[in-house]
Amino acid sequence: MGHLSGERLYEIFARQKREDRLEHIGTVSAPNPELARVYAWKTYDEATWFEMVVAPRDAFRSVNRDEVPFTLHPAEGV
Amino acid sequence: MSPARTDSFKSADELPPDVREALAATLLCLADNKRILGMRYGDWIMGAPTLEAGIACSAMAQDEWGHGRILYATLKDFGFDAGKLEHEREADEYRNSELLDAPVQTWPELLALNLLFDAALSVQVEALTDSRYEPILFKTRKLLEEERFHFEHGRGWAMRLGDTGAGRKALEAAFRKAVGPCLRWFGRPDSGFGRQLVDAGVVNADADELRRRWRERITPVFAEAGLEIPESGEAVALEWEDWDADRRRAAGGALDEVTLARIRGDKNRSMLMD
Repeated sequence: MGHLSGERLYEIFARQKREDRLEHIGTVSAPNPELARVYAWKTYDEATWFEMVVAPRDAFRSVNRDEVPFTLHPAEGV
Repeated sequence: MSPARTDSFKSADELPPDVREALAATLLCLADNKRILGMRYGDWIMGAPTLEAGIACSAMAQDEWGHGRILYATLKDFGFDAGKLEHEREADEYRNSELLDAPVQTWPELLALNLLFDAALSVQVEALTDSRYEPILFKTRKLLEEERFHFEHGRGWAMRLGDTGAGRKALEAAFRKAVGPCLRWFGRPDSGFGRQLVDAGVVNADADELRRRWRERITPVFAEAGLEIPESGEAVALEWEDWDADRRRAAGGALDEVTLARIRGDKNRSMLMD
């Protein structure tokens, strides 16, 4: 299914226990942060998360590479 | 969760007869509405505007069915047979809002159920969170935690559609139709409806106070989304001529036949087990 106009990609980070590190667990497309929160919580409900946060992909700045963050797949040998 | 009170009713048998009857009616009304609302969410899993919204509908459907299950099970304490309640009633025995009688035709109409009516159900459930009827205390927390996201979904979509002229117009049309039934759902003012529940400390607010809480929750979203919904104003008089107080809905109507068959699970009857 395609994205509607006005949608942004949001990156989702979560941890199951307080002592865990936040991990990048996925992405959702949403028209605003309110819906990004709902979609993240309802889509990635495979665990009981201690904490989950979302941020728009375009808020991230690459530090050491020229590529836009989150566009390189691990299998591509980044 | 609020701690159990020292003056709690431990079971329905301890409730005064009029309180027992009114509480059972409230719980059955909540259960029926949640069960059918879940089906309406489920109908949109494949038809929602985006994949994410479809997944959210699927999750909200499951949540509502779970809430319905919990509430039907609670009614066992009042002498009801949960299986009969779920599978053996006729359309006019369901206490569902007229908003749920027929399948939802448009996304804005589903959002009206999601933002406005689902919130009305939550306001009623919240009024039970410090109830003297102790068995309900253990049921409300998970239910209300899940409902936070239902509300945010409705709110997020109201803001999204409110961004465009066409979206705003469609949403206003759907919301203006649904506001009256939602406001009425809490019960007729000055009729003493639900009064025995408040006096007994079983529900913490009467119909007018519940209506006030609902308006307090919903009207800021109308403002955020730029929606004009005059029907939500306190000065607007509600119509009560056709009100069925027992079923908390417009008199005369009921679930359509297709919905009834689906909600009772008629096609799966042979697979039902005790």
